[in-house]
Amino acid sequence: MRLTKFVKFREEKFGGVLFETRSEKVFTLSPTATAIVREMGAGDERAITARLREQFDARDSATIEHDVRSFVADLRQRGLVED
Amino acid sequence: MGADRVSGAAGEGAADVAAPAPHSGPAEAEDLAAPLYVAWQITNECNLACLHCIEESGPGKAFADELDDAQVFSVIDQLMASDVPYVSFSGGEPMLHPQFFAMVERVCSRGAQLKVETNGHYLSPDNCARLGDLGVKAVQVSLDGASRATFNRMRVRGEFATTVEGVRNLRAAGVPVEINFSPAVFNVGEIGAVVDLAHELGAYSFYTGRTMYTGNAVKAWRHLQVSDAQYERFFDVLRAKADEYRGRMRVYFHEAGLLEELRFRLKHPAALLIVLPNGLVKLINALPFVCGDFRRQTLAEIWANFRRAWHDPRVAAFIDDLAADPARTRTLHQWVHL
Repeated sequence: MRLTKFVKFREEKFGGVLFETRSEKVFTLSPTATAIVREMGAGDERAITARLREQFDARDSATIEHDVRSFVADLRQRGLVED
Repeated sequence: MGADRVSGAAGEGAADVAAPAPHSGPAEAEDLAAPLYVAWQITNECNLACLHCIEESGPGKAFADELDDAQVFSVIDQLMASDVPYVSFSGGEPMLHPQFFAMVERVCSRGAQLKVETNGHYLSPDNCARLGDLGVKAVQVSLDGASRATFNRMRVRGEFATTVEGVRNLRAAGVPVEINFSPAVFNVGEIGAVVDLAHELGAYSFYTGRTMYTGNAVKAWRHLQVSDAQYERFFDVLRAKADEYRGRMRVYFHEAGLLEELRFRLKHPAALLIVLPNGLVKLINALPFVCGDFRRQTLAEIWANFRRAWHDPRVAAFIDDLAADPARTRTLHQWVHL
């Protein structure tokens, strides 16, 4: 999974931003969302979740999986990512 | 293009913050480490002398103190080092800058997205192929009419057929095209036909708004001024065209007046720097305030001052003055350093 050609990502103190340059819209990202975008190169939602489990407390596993699925679904719906 | 940007249209809407679902709240410019968008007027030289040109560009109108080659590439390197994701080159006519293609290559090769805003008169097949090979995000072409009569009247020294051919060359080279339209009393009635033409030419976006009373437009206003009734009809047509082309071409139009736009920006500054050909940095195109100078300051210093300058009481006062005297926009070139 990756950001589409016209989407740029930058990390910020508060998390990050996605800039969709065709519509010139900016999406702000929480630290969790930023971590998900950072790990997109790992593959699909399952692979991203596995990477994040390594970085965060495993007890939050269900939360991580939920966050990844809902966030990626949102990005797909907005046309910001592609496989 | 930068020189003929209509109020609130195109780049000035950049860095508007959409509200994403599972994330944190909106980011203001103050929260960001660097700008998200740099709109750079790389030269004031132009082959045309358009009636409405904000920058008063034209033949022989290059600033005497435009950035030299070393300064130009230093600015680009600073933008790229700060991970500025989006840059536009405008003018004047940016393709007249002697380092134009080298600048395009420098930006695109570093991964930023670049938009070129041009009058379309240098879009030969070879130049379009180069722009395509270099990977520009889009080329925005100004098309101020659906006919030779209206286009050539607005774009003094310009030629409608040359611009249309240039757009076709862009599409043949696979370069994404945006079309920009500035209304005047003599072309406003063609808006529907211009949107149709933009789609026929393969544009993916169409931008327009209200033409500003500044620059060349001050002198030519009696030839340009669009009445309220004409604007009402203009925006009605645009709403219909936006629906008609939904899913095929984005029709963007900025209906709000300049004052409304500035009042919004005062509270929510866009993360956008406007860089002039001499390296001065404006707070926003529609205000006279300068908040930096790339000849003397780094991007980090300019960005810090940009965020501070929006709180300067002179900015709010100027916007308030505009409410009483909308014609104060004629003074936008009398720069005020903050």
